[in-house]
Amino acid sequence: MQFKEVLGARRSIRYFDTDRPVEREKIQKILEAMRIASCAVNAHWLRAVVVNRADIPEETMQALKTPVSGLVQELAPVHIYCYLDPGIVTRIQGKRLKELVDVGALNPSHGWSHAFVDDFVYPQILEPMTKAPGYPISAAFDCGGAGTQGLLTAVDEGLGVCWTAFNPSAAKQLLEIPDDWIPLYVLNVGYPLESPEAGGQRPRPAFEELYFEGKVGSPYPRDPKVVEEIQREKMITAPAPQPGRLEEVRELARKLGLPE
Amino acid sequence: MPVGPVETYESVEKWAERLRKQWGGDPLAEEPDKLETLAAFCEFIGKDPDELVAFCFLRRRETGERFGSVKRREEVAERLRAFRKERGVSGLAARKLTSDVLSFLIHSGVLINPGMV
Repeated sequence: MQFKEVLGARRSIRYFDTDRPVEREKIQKILEAMRIASCAVNAHWLRAVVVNRADIPEETMQALKTPVSGLVQELAPVHIYCYLDPGIVTRIQGKRLKELVDVGALNPSHGWSHAFVDDFVYPQILEPMTKAPGYPISAAFDCGGAGTQGLLTAVDEGLGVCWTAFNPSAAKQLLEIPDDWIPLYVLNVGYPLESPEAGGQRPRPAFEELYFEGKVGSPYPRDPKVVEEIQREKMITAPAPQPGRLEEVRELARKLGLPE
Repeated sequence: MPVGPVETYESVEKWAERLRKQWGGDPLAEEPDKLETLAAFCEFIGKDPDELVAFCFLRRRETGERFGSVKRREEVAERLRAFRKERGVSGLAARKLTSDVLSFLIHSGVLINPGMV
């Protein structure tokens, strides 16, 4: 699929084919996509642990579920548990920034050198940053970006995906998570049992409500010609609900023995 | 305690109305086994439908605000599992057996994800 088509095809899939396993190479591609994501100071806070649903003991599986998203976790054949490793910055102490200097990504033209990293960036910015109250939020932003790359890769591979919360204490025990890692979300992965369109592109707030130009309150003008173009490129697709969705959902519920 | 015809309870009338709105038609009239399953579960736990919904909520002592009780939701989930066991069903058949009770609870605003039961 073309990139914009992947964006347009993505849905949060909540009905998975529990009998169809996910190929290991597809899971690896998801992780590879996470690894090459853009990341502040090249720190890479995201950690992910892949688990096959079938390998999780039943009692643990029950404990991992949250009251709102338990069924998605139950149905997804693969779970990718995502965590934030907050200790990475103080462990690497600017080393990965210097790698960026070495490969010509961060250059003297923009004020970068090994000495700048060692004498200024790490001691005066990065190390204090790790003690600031907003640090986990900034790091989580990066984890979200990396996770999204993995998610979109899954869509490109024909898989269905859905982020959900999970019970961190059950997961910590099952996955042997270090004490300082911060639980984020689990990416539920599998082949969709519902149609890939899943009833159409879901409702979103108005463009003008979210994005501004110059100052807040001054909406960024939305050019209808651009909208038409990205519709042609399948980034914006038919809006939900599409005809037949209600029947599809009811049929899925009956097939899986779920409430209507 | 005999529950009697469940369709006369206010909570079941609301369920019927919400199912009509969700799916069109009149699901409870078209599929009377839904009511039969709910009635059987109510008999099993000794609560009528209105009592069952009320049981899943508590009120805060300070403000009187109504809230969904996690502990009670877990208790109902446990009773649903026991109901399945008593009927001798497991797997998909077990899910199907209790899906109508879950539908009743979900449309009554109870937090009871089918994956938790």
